This record gives sequence, C-alpha cells and structure tokens, in this order.
Amino acid sequence: MKKDDNGHSGSVVWRLLRCNISTGQIIGYAVACFVGLAIVLAGLQFYRDVNSAGESDDPMISRDYLILSKKVEGLGSLGGAQAEFSKSDIAGLESQPWVERIGLFTASDFNVSASVEMGGRSMSTYLFFESIPDGFFDIKPDGWSFSPDDPFIPIVLSKDYLTLYNFGFAASRGLPQVSEAMIGMVPLRISVSGNGRQQWFDGRIVGFSSRLNTIAVPQEFMDWANGRFGDGTDSAPSRLIVEVNAPGDPGIAGYLKDHGMESAGDKADSGRAAHFLSVVTGVVMAVGAVISLLACFILLLSIYLLLQKSRGKLRDLMLLGYTPDAVARYYYLLVAGVNATVVLMAIAAMVAARSLWMPAFAALGLKGASLWVASVAAAAAGIVLTGFDIAAIRRRVIRTWYDR
Amino acid sequence: MISRIILDRVLPRVFAGMDAEAPVRDSALWLRTVELIRPARYLIEAESGTGKSSLISFIYGSRDDYDGSIFFDDVPARMLSVDQWSRMRTDTLALLPQEMRLFPELTVMDNILIKNRLTDYKSGREIEEMLERVELQARTYAYAGRLSVGQQQRVAIVRALCQPFGFLLLDEPVSHLDARNNAVVAAMIADEAATQSASIISTSVGNPLAISGAEVIRL
Repeated sequence: MKKDDNGHSGSVVWRLLRCNISTGQIIGYAVACFVGLAIVLAGLQFYRDVNSAGESDDPMISRDYLILSKKVEGLGSLGGAQAEFSKSDIAGLESQPWVERIGLFTASDFNVSASVEMGGRSMSTYLFFESIPDGFFDIKPDGWSFSPDDPFIPIVLSKDYLTLYNFGFAASRGLPQVSEAMIGMVPLRISVSGNGRQQWFDGRIVGFSSRLNTIAVPQEFMDWANGRFGDGTDSAPSRLIVEVNAPGDPGIAGYLKDHGMESAGDKADSGRAAHFLSVVTGVVMAVGAVISLLACFILLLSIYLLLQKSRGKLRDLMLLGYTPDAVARYYYLLVAGVNATVVLMAIAAMVAARSLWMPAFAALGLKGASLWVASVAAAAAGIVLTGFDIAAIRRRVIRTWYDR
Repeated sequence: MISRIILDRVLPRVFAGMDAEAPVRDSALWLRTVELIRPARYLIEAESGTGKSSLISFIYGSRDDYDGSIFFDDVPARMLSVDQWSRMRTDTLALLPQEMRLFPELTVMDNILIKNRLTDYKSGREIEEMLERVELQARTYAYAGRLSVGQQQRVAIVRALCQPFGFLLLDEPVSHLDARNNAVVAAMIADEAATQSASIISTSVGNPLAISGAEVIRL
C-alpha cells in the first residue's frame, strides 16, 4: 500500500501537519521539563555521591549503630536494682520504625584475668568480656571464631582504649606508644575461672573497633564459656546495639530520653547532619519532580491543542485512507524527539553540575558514585513520559476518526 | 475486491419515525433493499435535505448514524475495523466529497500526491495528463486555496481517481462546473471506471454528471 514510509507522502503530510505546531509551546515544554528533570537528576546524583561513602568505613549517610544502655541513676545499683534491659524494653525498641535490628550484648558470667609476658616481667590484670552477634561488627578480623578443641580466644578492643593508652597513659608515664599491629603481636595468657573451674587460654588482640566500646570476644566463646564457668543464671543484657535506618531521626533521642536509655558516642550529631542532608536532597528532588510533572501537563495540553487545531486535517487525511496510526506517527516522532532531547540535555546538565561539587567531595575523600543509575533513571523517565504522551495522542486521534 | 454493495432498509437516524412522510415515503432507497453492483453507473437524484450526502458517508464509513444495514458482499459495514476501513479507502472505495476537502495550504500537485503516494497508483506522468485533461496543468503548483471552486472540484476529481477502486462515490461532482467541463470530467471518470471495471455512484441535486446509460435512483 504505502511503499516508502520516508517517501514523499510522509513529507507532504508532515508539511501539512507542521503548520499547526506551535514552536513556542514545544520549546516552553522542553525548557520546563529540562529544568525539572535536571534538578531531579542532579539531586539523585548528589544523594548517590554523598552515599558513595556507604561502602567504605566512614559513611556519612548510611545505616548507623547506637549502643544503648540504661541510665544509671543515683545509688540505685547499690540497692541491687540492675540497669538491665527487660524483655518488654527490647520489644518496645523493636517496634520503633527507625530500628532495623537489635543485637544483645552478652556479658561474661565468669572471672577473667589476662597476663602479658614483657621482657621477663609478667603483668596481669582483671578483665571483662562481652560479645555481640557477628553481624554487628564493623570489622571482620581473620580467625574470628572459637572452638573448645583449639582454645584460642581472639579479642576485639575498642579503638578508644588504644587511644586512651597511647595519648593519655603512655604519654604521661613515659611509656612507649604502641601501634595496632604491634599490639596484635603480643601473646596473651588468659585465665578464665568460675563455677569451681579454672582454665588457661591463649589469646590475642585481632582488631580494633570504632563502633564497639568494649572488649569483645566471639559469641561462640561466650556461649561456651558462660555454660562452663557461669553459675547458670540467665542475666538480662545491660547493653544493646541497635542498627537504625534513619540516623538523626529526632524521634530516636526523644524515645531514649522517655525510656531512660542512653546512647554511647556522638553519632547522633553526625546522624542529624546526615538526616538533614537527606531531607534537603529529598525536598530539592521533589521540587524538580513537581516542575517536571507540570511540564508534562504543558506538553499534554499543547498536544491536545495541536490536535484540536489539526482536527479537520486529521479527519481529511483519514478520509483519504490514512490510518489513525499513520497520521499520529508524526506526533509520536515529534514527542519522542523532544523528550529524547530533553533527557539528553538533562543528563548533560547533571554531569555539569556534578563537576561543580565533585572537587569538594574529593577533598573529603569521597569517590562519588557512578552515573549510570541517574542516567538510566533519566532514560526511564523519558520512556515513560513518551509512552504516556503517545497513548494520549493515539486516543485523541482515534476519537477524531469518530468525529461527525 | 467486493462486487456489490447492498443497502438493506437503511434509514438515517434523523429520519427515524418519519416513514410516512415525504422524504422517506417517496424514496426509492430509504427503507428499501437496493443492490449496487459493478460495473454499473448510478445517478442518485435528490432534493437537498433528503440525505444524499449522508448516504455517501454511510457507504464510505465516515458516519454510521443509520438504521438498517449496509453490506459489502456479505460483510456488514458496521463490522469493519478502523484499519479495514482505511484499507478499503485505498483499494476499494474512492470518494469525492461534496465540499472537496482539498488542503488549501498545499499545492495542487501535493494535494494529489498526498493521496497517490498512499496508493502508489498513478505515475507522475499520468497525473500530469489528467491535470492536462481537465485544463489545470498551468495551476499544478498553485496553492489549492487560491483556486476557484470549479477548479478545486476538478483537482478533487483527479485526486479521487488516484487509487484502485471498485466503487467511485461522487457527491455532486459537477455542481460548480459548466456543461463543457462537466463533459470533460465525465469522460475522464467514465474512462477510469471502465479501466477498473468499477461502478460510478454519483449524486446530484439537478446538475447530474454527464454519463450515459446510468440507472437513476430517486432518493
């Protein structure tokens, strides 16, 4: 029937329909949609760049952990009332929307002392152990396990303890400062006793954690040792580690205060900054989305107006034997072309904007995220938009067919 | 290619319930069963307001506000899809609308090409010959909007012939033409219809197309 889609008939029909197209309206739409989409993309990329630290050690905005303890009030503990978390405390926390998961600290129910051989002299000190489920560790040292057949105890120490020693104790007492690696090489002899039993173990400090302010041993060891050396009382945990999904949520501080809990560390502040940043990014992206949405309405209205103006021509073309799709094709191409241009320009604008903030980010040690998520999002937005427009055009043109 | 169009008790909805009144009662077509075969020539004579343009629109599928049925061979017209109608309009039914429906912003040649490129039926040479025959070769590249109504009518006739057809529907084809031009276009139409062994269905309100041997139907 129609031999050549790009042939003369195409150009004649296009010339015919073209005169009704308002270039101003199309440009108006393109600019508005471009601005909106560019803002959304820049916001998205910014958010992802900020989050790119998420995979490294020190995320700015990422899952965050709080270590909670009960407030020790006055002389309460002397009266025997322990600052422990009851089952209902934990259930209450679990029901909070900002709680991702909760890990319980298990305290040692036995006596521990460790000794170090140093230049023929032996130093010994009483210690305590705690353990938490492995999933909550920020580091994964080698050999982080325990088996009674091969009794060796790996220990993770809070980084703060090392700092305290190096810059507090050692500096004031004229003792040598030690590095993490050096401490890791020192063999420890650990005595565990209780429940009428006593046993010596070899141990070593295998890592330092900036998340946990305790002396941590593998959960496997703790369970085994509590069973063997403990007196069997199942004590409630006195500390919890909580993974929060919305760091800086003001609800967290309020909840803790209301329930007499305290959180260790100053994560709350950086969390609040991160929370604020994500809120601001969200607002910016929402504004961009609103602009884009309004632009789409402009386009839709322009198209309706255009089809209304061209109604007689469309009807006459269909009287000549053109199918609705054959005449609508020119509008499909127009819309697809405009949207493709807008998407490409928005991606370019996003890349340009990114080059403005990336130097500052690089100075903070952030590598930045890849561009493909934002680019794919832009392409997807373009495709969805175009599909929506095409459906609207098709409906309108077919309605013209039934016009009287 | 279809070989007959059957009008089975067709009545425009605007005439519904007027069975006993003049335009319907005296009609040889409304509410009757009429078979239009090919090749043949039909002249539908009517006074204005009796629904002759409606009849053409019903057959051409651009309106369906009628009671009764129209069949192409055995296929009810109402069963045809939009795409099937579009195809019919390029290979079975040719139409000259009463109001011509040329695109005034296009030239005479483009107005014809916009149809011919869809059907790919006439060569450029043949189109020029047809324009020559209706004495419009000098206006080939004039904008259709600048032509007189009589000239537009002849361009529209040339355009209507730029496709294969079994039935040529002409709605007052010579209403703006003098007797000499009437004869010229009638001869061209008759030749084309003969070549395609097609039927001519032409309406008029008193100035009929000058073709011989036509069956006259009083609407």
